[in-house]
Amino acid sequence: MDWLTTVDHKKIGILYFIAGFFFFLIGGLEAIIIRIQLLKPMNDVVAGDTFNELITMHGTTMIFLAAMPLLFALMNAVIPLQIGARDVAFPFLNSLGFWTFFFGGVLLNLSWFAGAVPDAGWTSYVPLAGSIYSSGHGVDYYVLGLQIAGIGTLLGGINFMATIINMRAPGLTFMRLPMFTWAIFITSALIVFAFPALTVGLVALMFDRLFNANFFDVANGGNGVLWEHIFWVFGHPEVYILIVPAFGIISEVVSTFSRKRLFGYSSMVFATVLIAFLGFMVWAHHMFTTGLGPVANGLFSIATMLIAVPTGVKIFNWLFTLWGGSIRFNTASLFAIGFIPTFVMGGVTGVMLASAPADYQYHDTYFVVAHFHYVIVGGLILGIFSGLHYWWPKMFGRLLNETLGQITFWTFFIGFHLTFFVQHFLGLLGMPRRVYTYLGGQGYDDMNFISTIGAILMGIGTIAFLINVFVTWAKPRNASNDPWEDGRSLEWTIPSPPPEYNFKQTPLVRGYDAWWKEKMEGKTAMTPAEPVGSIHMPSPSILPFIMSVGLFIAGFGFMYDQLIVAGVGLAITLGCMVVRSLIDDHGFHIEPEEQDKGVQA
Amino acid sequence: MSSNHNETASGELPKRHKVEGPQKHVVGFILSLALTIIAFAAVAAGEINETFTYIILVAMAVVQVIIQMAYWMHMKDRGHLFPIIGIISGVVVVFTMVIMALYWVWW
Amino acid sequence: MSAHDHVEGHLPHEPEKATLEARNKILGFWLFLGAEVVLFGTLFAAFLALRHSVGDGPTAGELFQLPMVFAATMILLTSSLTSVFAVQAMHHHNKKSMVTWLIVTILLGLAFLGLEIYEFVEYVHEGHKFTTSAFSSSFYTLVGFHGAHVAFGVVWIALVIGQVFKKGLTVVTAPKVYISAMYWHFIDVVWVFIFTVVYLMGKVAG
Repeated sequence: MDWLTTVDHKKIGILYFIAGFFFFLIGGLEAIIIRIQLLKPMNDVVAGDTFNELITMHGTTMIFLAAMPLLFALMNAVIPLQIGARDVAFPFLNSLGFWTFFFGGVLLNLSWFAGAVPDAGWTSYVPLAGSIYSSGHGVDYYVLGLQIAGIGTLLGGINFMATIINMRAPGLTFMRLPMFTWAIFITSALIVFAFPALTVGLVALMFDRLFNANFFDVANGGNGVLWEHIFWVFGHPEVYILIVPAFGIISEVVSTFSRKRLFGYSSMVFATVLIAFLGFMVWAHHMFTTGLGPVANGLFSIATMLIAVPTGVKIFNWLFTLWGGSIRFNTASLFAIGFIPTFVMGGVTGVMLASAPADYQYHDTYFVVAHFHYVIVGGLILGIFSGLHYWWPKMFGRLLNETLGQITFWTFFIGFHLTFFVQHFLGLLGMPRRVYTYLGGQGYDDMNFISTIGAILMGIGTIAFLINVFVTWAKPRNASNDPWEDGRSLEWTIPSPPPEYNFKQTPLVRGYDAWWKEKMEGKTAMTPAEPVGSIHMPSPSILPFIMSVGLFIAGFGFMYDQLIVAGVGLAITLGCMVVRSLIDDHGFHIEPEEQDKGVQA
Repeated sequence: MSSNHNETASGELPKRHKVEGPQKHVVGFILSLALTIIAFAAVAAGEINETFTYIILVAMAVVQVIIQMAYWMHMKDRGHLFPIIGIISGVVVVFTMVIMALYWVWW
Repeated sequence: MSAHDHVEGHLPHEPEKATLEARNKILGFWLFLGAEVVLFGTLFAAFLALRHSVGDGPTAGELFQLPMVFAATMILLTSSLTSVFAVQAMHHHNKKSMVTWLIVTILLGLAFLGLEIYEFVEYVHEGHKFTTSAFSSSFYTLVGFHGAHVAFGVVWIALVIGQVFKKGLTVVTAPKVYISAMYWHFIDVVWVFIFTVVYLMGKVAG
């Protein structure tokens, strides 16, 4: 019951991890079935329409229900600790964000059981996704599931921006923030400005499908290219939302395990801001072949190539941090070090794709599939694994087993390259994407086979990680405050896991790498910025859970044309909002005597 | 209506806060009204060249919004750095979308 | 500062900013408004792209009646002013005046909504329905979303008035008044663009 009502960022982080990893397994299973189908030419493991459902759900689940929640898990677990705060700015909204994501994800995946799975791709282009060509309920699950889950993400973005702006410890100026915090700050800004575009796109598609609107119905004056524009104005910043946190994680891990200050901190911050800004200017590189014309294509090509510059700055900064450092190789640092060349590979194929004329050849082939898996899996997922292993002791009070970690890394890393490296060549040979089979004798057979073997290896790596999680769970919770002994930032100054209130006394920050600075001057703890006192904590609440259930019910009501059910669902949600507004919740206090007893989260 | 709070009920040390009167806000209202009337008049008159009319309309709207946000939403006051950054960022994104809608959507 | 400071004399100068929680809420709301700018901006973009696709229905020029739009604009603009007066009264710790101005605000908001509903019913009778064309779908979605925001604002401010009646003007209720007023200003700002881009420019284009 505690887990249903918690507003504690640490617990919410764990909830995001469990749910996110659960959906990661589902998305991974979908991927394995896809690869089994493509193992050999003219295979018949799944039929064409099921294959379309699999690729749609794989993409949608992995991006929205696995990758983003896993990032939110780390954001929640770490950010308040890194800035010396006791929780986020809006703990209630934090919980609401989790539960809307969870119920949105459940709604989307219930489509498998309803026999109406979305099958128009994760990009859901019209007119394929419109009511004529997707007359079943499949795409409705996509629209409503994402709409509900998206609310949570937007709330999370606002929450973390406000937290980082308003709740930093004394002395923690912006240019002393850890890089992960900077990365999350910028990511949150991206979320705030990108998600509303998706909201409108989904509303328009929903109105077209459910209420006979004509946004995208060409017969009545609608426009299909408009969907693509709206989707990608969201979609491109979305991929930066995915990767910028990984950049932050890599900065932390590389710096800690080189026992060296991050090289070029200011340029890192500036580069990340520039990447985020440019990320809003390049969306039409997903639309080069739609007929935008040479001026537009030219502008977007150049803007896209420009992003490589600040990204390159970051890569060099990581390399210069490692250079001359006292490097420790463990699972976390291996994932981070593996990230660097892998992401660069993904980035350079991105620059290839950025050239509009060349893209006419690459578009809709496996070359594109190879590129984005290199940056998302080889970038983001390696980053997430790195972050999970790095911050695991802080979240759970135990270090993950190093042997199992190494097995995870090597199988996943090798499997990844096997799966996706060959896909570049498949694309160059002309193999189209989103096809459920292919004829033999075109040169595709061996590489598809290798690709499938790689996918199975990645599956094994993931299972090794799962085993690691369970094995570690059984161990005693005895990690120290600073289990890596080389912690540089504030989260390593408090117990693992932290007490409910995080910091007994808010620390005083005297520079960048605040904890490292104190350690190098011989101190064993941070200087407090306030006396010991009564700590004000937010109260738990069941309302976020109920509100999300209300939206879940409303989603089904809209989908199956039961407007009364939809009304009831919305009324539940709005009713909870009224209750929240009218009943003031002033939280509770933890007194110094209870603090000494060690109130555990 | 300007008043200085010289004492509180408990007789604490007086804090000199200038609580502003409504003057600036009413001026903002009158300006907004004037800009609105100009915009409507430009259309109702009907004789102005079409492109020029569009320019007048956009200019009136932008100026009115700036006045309302600066005065009624206090954006010109101190402590509003992040709100300003936030709104301007949103406007930049919207600007690109408007260009998209006007020039890059075709049938 | 605690919620127990509800004797007017103990209220600080700007009660809406007196606690960290209040300052967080105001900042968070500004960020939310940034998201709303993009939300409405996307709706505007869709409208702009589809504004000529009238199908069998009437065009913007044929449909829109400027006097009615002007009246609606005046109502909403005035309501934004009255919400400013409410916040000023709050700064003067004058609860009665504040509540009066808030009530005027929501009455004007209701008048605006009434006018808009009347307008939409007229349009439907003239053959401009939600399902008529791409222009009509995007028109009703954009203007309708704005109207829905106004309706939400009316309910919100009414609830805030109720809370002030029950708990008085405190460092807890003051931010609620301030933020609801911010929201109200914002929907007037959006309306400036709606009457300009949808109605006035539509009329010019014929």
